[in-house]
Amino acid sequence: MHRIIVANRRGHQVVEWDLDTDTEEARERIAEAERIIQQARQQGCVVSKKVDGKHVLDTAPFDPKVEEYQIIAPIAGG
Amino acid sequence: MFDVRRAWRWLVGGSELVTAELEPTDDADDIERPWLRSWDHLPKRTAGPDFTRSDYRAARQRAIEVARATLGDNLWADLQRHGYLELPSTLFDGITYRLRVGRRIEVRAAPGCRVPWVYPYLCINPTYPLPEIEFFAQLYLYVRDREEEIVRVAAPQPWDQSLGRTF
Repeated sequence: MHRIIVANRRGHQVVEWDLDTDTEEARERIAEAERIIQQARQQGCVVSKKVDGKHVLDTAPFDPKVEEYQIIAPIAGG
Repeated sequence: MFDVRRAWRWLVGGSELVTAELEPTDDADDIERPWLRSWDHLPKRTAGPDFTRSDYRAARQRAIEVARATLGDNLWADLQRHGYLELPSTLFDGITYRLRVGRRIEVRAAPGCRVPWVYPYLCINPTYPLPEIEFFAQLYLYVRDREEEIVRVAAPQPWDQSLGRTF
């Protein structure tokens, strides 16, 4: 399973997708994950992905093979 | 209409089982996307008028798991041991950032070096409300991987204080 952690005031919510299942529903799940990342980036959020057990900020296009993404809030001073 | 159950939950803080694991949400429409809303109207250190005590408790509990997953086990252990994490600046010689949960970043200078800001505490908040431990992990990633963004937005302050947009 691959996933996006959407960190929000709820603590987090998670969207998962499965690359091993080739169904319409599975494909839609991946498309939705991509839309979430795209939309968040357009609104100023940053995205991190898990690499070797830890998260690093990432600017590459969405890759469904990534194990775990996280949406990181934009920051502001004050 | 007055909701007795909701009022009771608010009063006692709720007795629901808090699930700390990273469980998937079945319907993507149920995902709260805070980047689509404005949060400027919220009082400091709150998550919104619709949040109950049990919501706060559940959010903080879930945030621990996210923060741990974000930082990885080693950094998480360091945080538990020391109460803070430090990162050396890649832009300023002799400068170290000390990050503490829910607080401003403390900028520390090695002997002979000067803090590059007029004040040694950097006030940086998320643009939407987050549990403080969750934002701590996110801020760590910013400092480590995108220090120039920290430099760009930081509001230097003369004293330490809790962050206003986290809870």
